[in-house]
Amino acid sequence: MLCFSFILLLFCFKGNAQSKEDTLSITFKLKFNKEALAFNQQYITSNKDTLTFDNFKCYISHIQIHYDDNSVFTQTNSYHLLDIENPSSFHIPITKVNDKIISKVTFNIGVDSLASTAGAMTGDLDPLKGMYWAWQSGYINMKIEGKSSSCKTRKHEFHFHIGGYLPPYYALRYMELIYNKKASQINIGIDLYNFFATLNLAKTNSVMTPGTIAMELADYGKSLFYIE
Amino acid sequence: MRIYWKYFLVLGILILICLAFSNQFTTPLYIEVPKGWPQPKYDFKKNPLTEEGFQLGRHLFYDPIISRDSTISCASCHLQQTGFTHIDHQLSHGIDGKIGTRNTLALINLAWNKDFMWDGGVNSIEVQAINPITNPDEMDEKLENVIVKLQASEKYRKLFTKAFGDDKVNSQRLLKALAQYTVMLKSSNSKYDKVMRKEEDYNEREQRGYDIFKSNCASCHKEPLFRDDKFENNGLAIDTTLNDVGRIKITQKKEDYLRFKIPTLRNIQFTFPYMHDGRFKTLTEVVKHYNSLGHDKNLPKELAKPMNLSDNDRVDLVLFLTTLTDTAFLYDKRFSFPRE
Repeated sequence: MLCFSFILLLFCFKGNAQSKEDTLSITFKLKFNKEALAFNQQYITSNKDTLTFDNFKCYISHIQIHYDDNSVFTQTNSYHLLDIENPSSFHIPITKVNDKIISKVTFNIGVDSLASTAGAMTGDLDPLKGMYWAWQSGYINMKIEGKSSSCKTRKHEFHFHIGGYLPPYYALRYMELIYNKKASQINIGIDLYNFFATLNLAKTNSVMTPGTIAMELADYGKSLFYIE
Repeated sequence: MRIYWKYFLVLGILILICLAFSNQFTTPLYIEVPKGWPQPKYDFKKNPLTEEGFQLGRHLFYDPIISRDSTISCASCHLQQTGFTHIDHQLSHGIDGKIGTRNTLALINLAWNKDFMWDGGVNSIEVQAINPITNPDEMDEKLENVIVKLQASEKYRKLFTKAFGDDKVNSQRLLKALAQYTVMLKSSNSKYDKVMRKEEDYNEREQRGYDIFKSNCASCHKEPLFRDDKFENNGLAIDTTLNDVGRIKITQKKEDYLRFKIPTLRNIQFTFPYMHDGRFKTLTEVVKHYNSLGHDKNLPKELAKPMNLSDNDRVDLVLFLTTLTDTAFLYDKRFSFPRE
């Protein structure tokens, strides 16, 4: 705890010492078919399913910036919850801007097994963030919820709670995005269109446990991320 | 005269230093590992035990404030005098008289546990408490609300300050404090322990029971904790009113069908009823069940051979099991309801 607060304190100082302009940051942008995603708006998937969204949350962790001189910046204590109800969570300051070419950005979608077994956590990993499974310890890596007439469920709802840290159902996914330019701001799109392109909503609409289906959905999850 | 001056100055500075630190420092607590026991599994480095943290956890454990309508505390289902379990009920009941799906586990020597719950779904004692707090059949409360209620309480603001240096309540502090209390629940003073320490002797029949235990039960209920991290199918037919499939729900592995935790047998005399669904009221029934097994290829190898215990064997085995009762633990005032 003390150690954690100390790190937090360090971050505060860092934040104060430099202006926004010197900070390299990543901004995630939630989309549906290249358009900014909005709640209560009807969308049509490539499979002709009509749907609306009412929740999206996702953990991004272990962010690394790789430069073309082979140096790597690894963010410490890098666990971030992107929460649609908290728009500022989609903007993540990383480090000081420098003049090097960024070759790629890498991160994990989800929470690693280390943090999943570390007991009671705080900050973005606080179990009250609605992304923690109590009965089967572990984090939900990605939560997508909404309604679709294609779902023969109560109120036509669909729930995708993708997670699990115990092998062979370790649902964390490593993401590598090639960048190859200088930047002070990296924009990464998260397009839910791709998620529903591979999914048969009539058949798969309620996944809330680790397992084979969660592993498949976690693979689909990789297809959402792209450099804008 | 000049020497005096220096003396007082140094003393004054020392006192000032002591005062400066006195508010920040808590009294460290240690869990003593009895001779011959393995090292605890709990990582104390991430949650160093302190007297103040333990006392906060103790207050929280006994306080129904953490349930939705302030009717259920942890102690409602975990009574100290019965090994911190809920006796007389096959399945535990919680808020509004609702009944859960499993028999309450005893809270004994939890610092040595790797996993928690009958199916081992919970991987740390710190996050264990989220389950009863949020389960709609138990306390049916949100962690957010618990934090608000505790933050509004002068008593808890004081207790949190003592334990953590300031009065901020958050889920991590709440859970770590509860864990400080529950990991301290160590039972190592039964007659069995005294015999092992050569302070007492078994009588002839207790000794016979111990011998029977060692050759029939100890491969799973391993001494000195009388439990194991493994999960096993112990030959109970599935209760079709519950259809509890056990560990398979956590791992999705076929072989974990009907497997459950191998719980500790310490204080087993008082933790009735027995088994995950509380189907047996007495130890005699439990021993009869195991004695009825054998010649079943679905059973683990430890239970594959029939035990063939005689009536006398069974009585002696149960007699031995009662020597695992630790009265000092069951009535330890440090663990009891905190009176102010």
